[in-house]
Amino acid sequence: MPSSAAIRLQIETTLANRVPAALTLKIKQAPELFATGIAEVDAVLDGGIPRGCITEVAGAASTGKTSLGLSSIATITQSGAACAWVDVSDTLSPESAAAAGVELKRLLWLRTSAERKQTITNKPWPRLEQALKATDLLLQAGGFGAIVLDMSDVLPQHTMRIPLATWYRFRLAAEQARTALIFLSQAPCAHSCAALALRCEPVEVRSFSSNGETALFEHQQYTLIRERNRNESSVFLQRKPPLRAAWQAETLWSRVR
Amino acid sequence: MYAVLHPPNFYAQAAAHPRPELRKRPFALLDGEPPAEFVIAANKAARALGVEAGMTRLQAESFPEVTAFSRTPADEASAHTILHNVVCLFSPRIEHIEISPGTYALDIEGMNRLYGDATQLAARLRQHTMAAGFLANVAVAENFHAAVCLALGKAGVSVAASGHEAEALRDLPVCVLPLEPEQEETLHSWGVRTCGELAALLESDLIARIGQVGKKLHALARGAWPHLMFPIEPSFEDGLSERMELDHPVEVLEPLLFLLSRMTDALLERVKEKALAIASLRVVLHLDGNKRHERIVRPALPLQDKPTLLKLLQLDLETHPPSAAILHLELHAQSAAPCRAQHGLFLPQAPEPGRLEVTLAHLKKLLGDERVGSVELKDDPRPNAFRMVPFAPPPPRKQERPSLSVPTALRVSRPPQAVGVALTDNKPTRIFWDGQGYAVREIAGPWRISGQWWSEANWCREEWDVRLTTETAERICRIAFDPRSRCWYVQGTYD
Repeated sequence: MPSSAAIRLQIETTLANRVPAALTLKIKQAPELFATGIAEVDAVLDGGIPRGCITEVAGAASTGKTSLGLSSIATITQSGAACAWVDVSDTLSPESAAAAGVELKRLLWLRTSAERKQTITNKPWPRLEQALKATDLLLQAGGFGAIVLDMSDVLPQHTMRIPLATWYRFRLAAEQARTALIFLSQAPCAHSCAALALRCEPVEVRSFSSNGETALFEHQQYTLIRERNRNESSVFLQRKPPLRAAWQAETLWSRVR
Repeated sequence: MYAVLHPPNFYAQAAAHPRPELRKRPFALLDGEPPAEFVIAANKAARALGVEAGMTRLQAESFPEVTAFSRTPADEASAHTILHNVVCLFSPRIEHIEISPGTYALDIEGMNRLYGDATQLAARLRQHTMAAGFLANVAVAENFHAAVCLALGKAGVSVAASGHEAEALRDLPVCVLPLEPEQEETLHSWGVRTCGELAALLESDLIARIGQVGKKLHALARGAWPHLMFPIEPSFEDGLSERMELDHPVEVLEPLLFLLSRMTDALLERVKEKALAIASLRVVLHLDGNKRHERIVRPALPLQDKPTLLKLLQLDLETHPPSAAILHLELHAQSAAPCRAQHGLFLPQAPEPGRLEVTLAHLKKLLGDERVGSVELKDDPRPNAFRMVPFAPPPPRKQERPSLSVPTALRVSRPPQAVGVALTDNKPTRIFWDGQGYAVREIAGPWRISGQWWSEANWCREEWDVRLTTETAERICRIAFDPRSRCWYVQGTYD
């Protein structure tokens, strides 16, 4: 009776042409992390956004998704890597990007449009389809430090209908291209493909005016909840309840003051 | 062995060539801008009457028999072409002598089998030139400069035997040498009139008196100054083109790609022979109905890779297809030195230029030309004014992040969405947007901005920052009121 080790060896030798080391456990190394540039968030994420994985940031409007995304891209472009922003609703503000510190020359901005396809323009499908194709092309080309797929203005019922196979494909491509793939959406859609799932929520409401002068929108407080992090160093940490981080973003004019 | 063809008084000969009626009559050729025109050349009959180079138009016209007219570059160019064609019959290696217009030097080494010895060749060359309508001196010598000096200084055919160049040059005036005016004056003051007299001086004494140029002049006068010939060659860049006539008009792009592939291959081979790469490809499609469709594909870096170039051509033609059937196609290339970059082990990753170029072409086909690229902020008072530029990331390098606070990002609505607004005391209190009613919980504003007030495109608006709430959600937006159209719209959402 052959031992289990011998059987394993036999199977692996037979499959060697198709799958190298089919039954041997692959030792996964901890991915490189990109800091988000927000100290509170980095503390919750054990250092930042993982490279070669999918990070999903979900939340309603005005919960800080775009600010977080731009801040991360700013750090990555400043490290010298090229990034891409796939803008499903064509809403990126170049001024905000420049203010966040993004090196605009290193940022490839892809603006999808409904006019390219002469179908019903109100539906988000042409735009989403274009954005998914564009993301696929970028992942295949490789070399990008991070790619942001901004679906913040697409309703959850539409993002939920994207086939799971797409996300699996993206996960593998991102791993091979060593690219941090960041999704911004209203509700989580990548399911188990996302190595890091974050939820954004607004916190307490702070009044526009802080000094008793003319009312002025100066800053906004946000909360970030870590829902899942597959790359945590310890297994025991995975059972911990999600961590929260409260962070603040200022408007451009309050910086001047 | 070199033969030199020199047409004396080239400008006058070039001007008289297309006007045979002028050959027997005295004429002067003028140059310069009116009214400061001056005589640049005159034919023999005019010189006999007293017309000299350097005279003004008025002075030249004071001779009633002399016809004065301005030089035309076209005449000189056509004369150059005729002479060039004549010399091309005698040698494949030709050099144009810049200092003397119309003068060509030919390398006649090994031509004796076709044209006989040097004297016979020189005579036939002169005969051909005269048949083409030009008078010319022809000189043959072992030394290049000796042949030039002989052609400039001796009329007719002159042949200097090998090793006897100094003797052949002995009686020529020193003005056949390339002298500066002050050197000519110095030699004149010394009483040196001929090349023989100059060659008789001691080289070291000459160098001691007029410097290192003395060495060159001494060697030239002896017919011993070496020369490296730079023959005229057809321009490499002009030769980088391929043409193809189609038997039947082609409407589909796919069969065209087979032809383009062959043409690109041929161009790449030529380019690679010179260790160069293709910097740009220009496709010219001649279409049915006498139309022309031209596209230029310019990769970010010069490429030697055929599949990439072909893919870029294909994607560009698919994005901008021709409007009619194709009858005839041309492919022109521009060469450049291939790019070589030293990559670093510890530098951040960057997209590979060749693959990035193809990806960008794919994305442009998918999204449109103006929707793919980097963004550049415009120096414009209008908020969020920007222009799209081609994506070309600079080489990877680290940069220190300035320690500034995180700004609130604005998500811009493009185009701005019109909303219904209920006002109380001229302040918005309720907003109806996308079929939903929002209560304005907090408001800051109005911020009045305007621009372009000096032109038709003037704009102005009042902007408000508002915190909108429904029963379940809350959002902070920037809304604006346009007083000209009296319309409210959402400019963007803070996120």
